[in-house]
Amino acid sequence: MNHDAPLQLKNDLAELDNVGRFVEEMGKRHHLPLAVVRAVGLSLDEIVTNVITHGYDDHDRHDIQIRLTVQGDEVVTEVEDDGRPFNPLELPDADTTSSLEDRPVGGLGIHLVKCLMDHVEYRRTEGRNLLITRKKMTA
Amino acid sequence: MQITQSKNQSIDIIALQGKLDAGTAPALEQKLMAMIDQGSKQLVINLEGLQYISSAGLRVLLMTAKKMKGASGKLALCGLQENVKEIFDLAGFTTIFSIYASASEASGALLATNK
Repeated sequence: MNHDAPLQLKNDLAELDNVGRFVEEMGKRHHLPLAVVRAVGLSLDEIVTNVITHGYDDHDRHDIQIRLTVQGDEVVTEVEDDGRPFNPLELPDADTTSSLEDRPVGGLGIHLVKCLMDHVEYRRTEGRNLLITRKKMTA
Repeated sequence: MQITQSKNQSIDIIALQGKLDAGTAPALEQKLMAMIDQGSKQLVINLEGLQYISSAGLRVLLMTAKKMKGASGKLALCGLQENVKEIFDLAGFTTIFSIYASASEASGALLATNK
């Protein structure tokens, strides 16, 4: 059995449950700490939600691919999609300190990814977006 | 995700059970916006049963807090599990919400503001 088989998803928010299940399953197979499973699960949720919500100009079906591998003491995830070029790291930093009235409603998703992961990287190749995250398992 | 509504004197209580993510947040948004539109001025959202929250959920809670403030109402959250509280901290939410350990504490605090 290939423990690191990727997860294929449709661009549909109903697929988010499958993302969580996939991470939990990988967590069991690789004996990942619970805190890491939770952080990676939420990070992938936010990335996939962004792709589904903002990634496409049409209403067609698109496929999104998630890969999760353990490399040394790091969990590495890759989310690949064929949506329009979109680098979430170029968005302005989220506001997490303004008062209630001044606090903007958006921008928290990628902020959480950056907080939860140790390293986030974006690449665009051959018409596809690729967002890579790394999370160390040791403090 | 399950949404349960109840009342404690003048206070509306919404209890959540399960996961609050981009798939389940719209139903909660609809419910909370409607309650405020219909005149709810004291609202406690009980998160004891909430196992998971993503930015979509945070967004709905923020919109609710803003709408409540605009309507001169009061909102309190309670029962945050440890992992949910961590996400609140990362988002800088603990400074802009009134957060209590339990629904009875939250209700007590809101009722005290009536006096």
